[in-house]
Amino acid sequence: MASVTVIGRGAHVTGRVTGAVDLEIHGRVDGEVTIDGELTVEAEGLVAANLSARRLVVRGAVKGDLSAVDAVVLENGARVVGDVRAPRIAIERGALVRGYVQTGSASAASAQRSEAREAAPRAKPQAAAARPAAPAARATPKTQTQARPAPVAARAPAPAPASRTAPVAHNSVLAGGAPTKSATLGAGSAPPRGGPPAPVVPVLKKGSKGALKKKAG
Amino acid sequence: MASTVIGAGITIEGEVATDDDVIVQGTIRGKLNAKESVTIEEGATVEADIVGGAMRVAGQVTGNISSTDRVDLQPGAKVVGNVKAARITIADGAQFKGNVDMDV
Repeated sequence: MASVTVIGRGAHVTGRVTGAVDLEIHGRVDGEVTIDGELTVEAEGLVAANLSARRLVVRGAVKGDLSAVDAVVLENGARVVGDVRAPRIAIERGALVRGYVQTGSASAASAQRSEAREAAPRAKPQAAAARPAAPAARATPKTQTQARPAPVAARAPAPAPASRTAPVAHNSVLAGGAPTKSATLGAGSAPPRGGPPAPVVPVLKKGSKGALKKKAG
Repeated sequence: MASTVIGAGITIEGEVATDDDVIVQGTIRGKLNAKESVTIEEGATVEADIVGGAMRVAGQVTGNISSTDRVDLQPGAKVVGNVKAARITIADGAQFKGNVDMDV
């Protein structure tokens, strides 16, 4: 209690609030708040001020820029209109934000740094996006090449896929459509799922041919 | 439990208005308006006019104090300014300079 400052529900502070201890805002604050500690805007808090703190937690309404040395956490119920800058920013489900949000090193004092940071994040996401994409591209061909020889042995005896595709063939046969077309259509629809088309087609042909012969005979 | 606490190490420059209790352990410069009790604790510095209910002052106040109820200046308090209240006590050891108005 001694080190925690509370601006209560019915309180309205106009002006500058500074200090080196934790601060909870349940009421209204207009002006500027600079705290070297944890600043919490509670759900019923209503703040029209630029907030600066070591750690900043918002559950209420804030109109103004937020900056933190450590982290900004916008929790469920937070309504923020303003820019957010901190090394770490968390925007949780249910929080509303309108403004420029930027993670990165704090102390957004100099304009040059902020400009450099504005340029840096643009390059980073591209690189980050490229890195995961490359392994994925490498991985997929391997799985395809590995999968191709195996299914010939594995899928031919496996009854499950054949039985699933077989009724389709039966229906098409009963409807009087060309069975070969339905088989190829079934084969055509199969590859997008697994990838390799070659082993699937013979399996279907075998089943459909058998069905045809039975129907014909 | 007061709903508003201005803790030690906090400085407010401006106006503080509240419908309920206030405890001041830090610094306020400007105005302090409360509807309920105001407590200026030891070590607190208030350079502001204070309006409120019952007041207990143990810290340093520079400004006029106006209370709808009572004002108690406790030992260690240092008050420079006028005090207006229905009931006022000044404890032994409190420093005070200013006018007293008790609505006589």
